Amino acid sequence: MTEEHAASTLPSRRLPSLMGRGRLSALVGQRTALVAGAVMISAIVLVSVMAPVISPYDPVDQDLRNALQPPSWTHLFGTDNFGRDIFTRVIYAAQVDLRIGFLCVFFPWVLGTILGGIAGYAGGVFDTLIMRTVDTFTAFPFLVMAIGVIAILGPGVTSMYIALTLAGWSMYARIVRAEVLVAKRSEYVLAARALGFSHTRIMLRHVLPNVITPTIIFAMTDIVLVILSTTTLAFLGLGLPPPAPTWGTMIAEGKSFIFTAWWMVTLPGLAIVLVGISLSLFGDGVADWLRERE
Amino acid sequence: MALLEVRNLSADIPTRRGTLRAVEDVNFSISSGECLGIVGESGSGKSVTCKTILGLLGPSVERDGEAVFDGTDLLSLTEAELTRIRGRDIAMIVQDAVSALNPVLRVGGQIAEGMIEQGVVGSRSAAMARAVDLMRKVGIPSPEERARDYPHQFSGGMCQRVVIATALACGPRLLIADEPTTALDVTVQDQILALLRQLQRDLDLAVILVTHDMGVVAETCQRVAVMYAGQVVETATPAELFSAPRHPYSAALLDCVPDLDAAQAERLRPIEGLPPDLVDLPTGCRFHPRCPMATAECRSQKIPLIDIGGGRATRCIRHEDMAQPGPVSGTDSTTAEVGTA
Amino acid sequence: MTPLIEVRGLTMRYPIQGGFMDGVLPGRRRTLTALDGVDLDIAPGEIFSLVGESGSGKTTLGRALLRLVEPTSGEVRFRGEDVLSMGPARLRAARRDLQMVFQDPWSSLNPRLTVGQILGEVLHVHDIARGAAAKARVRELLDLVGLPPEAADRYPRHFSGGQRQRIGIARALAVDPEIIVADEPVSAVDVSVQAQIMNLLLDLRERLGLTLLMIAHDLSVVRYVSDRVAVMYLGRIVENAPAAEIFANPRHPYTRGLMAAAPRTRPNARRDSAAIIGEPPSPLSPPPGCAFNPRCGFADNGCRERPPPLEDLGGTHQVRCFKHASVGDPALASS
Repeated sequence: MTEEHAASTLPSRRLPSLMGRGRLSALVGQRTALVAGAVMISAIVLVSVMAPVISPYDPVDQDLRNALQPPSWTHLFGTDNFGRDIFTRVIYAAQVDLRIGFLCVFFPWVLGTILGGIAGYAGGVFDTLIMRTVDTFTAFPFLVMAIGVIAILGPGVTSMYIALTLAGWSMYARIVRAEVLVAKRSEYVLAARALGFSHTRIMLRHVLPNVITPTIIFAMTDIVLVILSTTTLAFLGLGLPPPAPTWGTMIAEGKSFIFTAWWMVTLPGLAIVLVGISLSLFGDGVADWLRERE
Repeated sequence: MALLEVRNLSADIPTRRGTLRAVEDVNFSISSGECLGIVGESGSGKSVTCKTILGLLGPSVERDGEAVFDGTDLLSLTEAELTRIRGRDIAMIVQDAVSALNPVLRVGGQIAEGMIEQGVVGSRSAAMARAVDLMRKVGIPSPEERARDYPHQFSGGMCQRVVIATALACGPRLLIADEPTTALDVTVQDQILALLRQLQRDLDLAVILVTHDMGVVAETCQRVAVMYAGQVVETATPAELFSAPRHPYSAALLDCVPDLDAAQAERLRPIEGLPPDLVDLPTGCRFHPRCPMATAECRSQKIPLIDIGGGRATRCIRHEDMAQPGPVSGTDSTTAEVGTA
Repeated sequence: MTPLIEVRGLTMRYPIQGGFMDGVLPGRRRTLTALDGVDLDIAPGEIFSLVGESGSGKTTLGRALLRLVEPTSGEVRFRGEDVLSMGPARLRAARRDLQMVFQDPWSSLNPRLTVGQILGEVLHVHDIARGAAAKARVRELLDLVGLPPEAADRYPRHFSGGQRQRIGIARALAVDPEIIVADEPVSAVDVSVQAQIMNLLLDLRERLGLTLLMIAHDLSVVRYVSDRVAVMYLGRIVENAPAAEIFANPRHPYTRGLMAAAPRTRPNARRDSAAIIGEPPSPLSPPPGCAFNPRCGFADNGCRERPPPLEDLGGTHQVRCFKHASVGDPALASS
């Protein structure tokens, strides 16, 4: 049971078609998964938005006299080497991480869907051009591309968005193109053509709504992956510049203290795990719900 | 003595909406050298019946009744014991022959595989030799060379011949053919049906032919069981069934099929309404909501399969009214057509 | 009577991509001929059936008439106007007159739209009716195909195969077309439902004066509804005659073989023994001469050397066979 939990919450770059049976939602029950996931995500968002009310501490102000305190009732998650309350920093960081996670999936999703849709529907030279570009982007190692972009633009939120969008859109374009190729041959699209509908109408009303489901399912997993990617970047020193907290930078900073102050690395890591579980639950629930509607 | 005797077979499939009564109270028997046709529309339970007998439906399906094959009740066997019987004593062929074959294996090897697996031949080379023999027997030209080909090099009809050869490999006594010609063109269908007839005769094989096509039954089977909504509603010989059906559903189904040889096409009378929802079945006779002859009794009372003599049975309490030609709607045109034939 | 549709020399070839070097190596590029010089006329108000086995080109022909696929050469005239040279705007308008019903009732309706939306969209796009008028017209269309008005608010998945096929027919009727191409409209539905759909098509022809081009493989279905039948084999029409004539007096060996192979519901009504041997050849490498010669009991050397022309036997019966006299000879036919 626990092993299965671990296996299904560990995100990996897998295609939605592989997300068959034996997922987390199958264990929890489908409606339960959707509701539990939604409740957990809402709770996380709420806590991060309410951070100034919940926590008496400031996430940035240093208090060197209280450095490296272990978890206690005054400092739930302990303090870091600058004496900042880790719990406060974790819940403030949630705002940044969730926003990056959401937007860095949203932009590639939009870009990939548009380009993949055009490639699949128009075919011919558009298809070749777009898909060769996709191949190029897919062949590029993710980290190399992200490092390159951030090195050119300098660290910051905007470069993070651009780097992750460039790294992520090709997957969506692939999924959408494959689905559009199938939908294009379906008889309802043929019927729409026989009825004299315009290409725009066929694309927007008859093709897109029928191909979008797998991309949404994939996007749910992708959010977790993106948050992990930001952690990786932060670990490599390419995250958001300090002092603004993100889970990734917190883990990166804590790594030198892993043997003396375990809480500095572990507790932000736990936050990522928690977000991962709730997004997985929610994503599986949404996937089942969308599939059921078909 | 019957080779396979099915008694009171039922299969309940749990679904999200409730229990789906896919098969209920099915009785039939089949002897060596006989071909039994099971005919019905989609959802009538004809395929489920065969899969239930072979234990192919998965553990969540509630099965009841008996299917006695050569003295053994198949429903009481363990999966391991069934595996010995499936493919060896009982073989099955399916509608989609092309996808029934493994695309990456040569067809000769696929035919030989079952024989090696079941241990009916001593060596691999003996199995291959027999595979070539079987290919010749099912009418594949130059079998020695074609045994080295892959399935995609065969046409649909030839694939079905390969599937039949695979089914025959271990010398089965019962062959279950589930819509074996539905995916084929009519000229090829004709050839495959002729092959099945010939094999049945030559090998003294019992064949259960599942189909939706009355014409296929007429040409191939010695006996027919008509299924509707999970039940057998009538059993008869094809000649009896087509000339004088004794169940209103059989009669109505025959009325729906246009006659290719009729001089002047008269207007078809479709069966009004739809087959019942198997999760929410009507009370009494399952056909009563669509039946022109239904009475109050039909609506309230469960109807058993009634033996009406001469090896015929029907699940209709008004079968005697149907035997009289003329007044009852649904039967007159069929008898009239046969009269003029 | 002037034909509603005239097809002349309609040909359709596809390049085939085989192995990945085929396009590069000279002489390895192959073409598949789906339609090869098809001629036919469809008269207004008639039910014209195209019969043939899979790969005979009947579906391609039906789609080419509506320009859902683009033919390589030839002519399609609708009321004298060339359909193949129409620009996009003219074609869109012409599709109000030329409609299609599809084979598969499960995939031919957009699963995300309600029946009312499916029909309403057609009325909207072609500016036929809006708002309340559109709602009323949707009810009318549903009634025309025998569905209750409540059907408008439900999704395709709530309907059985036969009911979906009715919805598909209603969608085609929404633009009030002159001709409907029905591609195997009953082959995917149950036997008892087939009769309902065929009767519906016959009724609609009667009530609306529709012309129908029906594509089918089931001869008993074809016989039941058709006024005229054309038999196709490997992209060519091999016989074309009024329905009563072709069933009583088939003059092409393939037509005869098809009829012989069709299973009959009357046991012992076993028929003409002209069973066809073998299977259709690949359209990538059709045999020389008459494409049917390898399977034909009448074929001689002449048939293997040159393709027979479509010959007129009088009384609008055409056949593409050198041996049509022997095929039609009753003494030989019963052999």
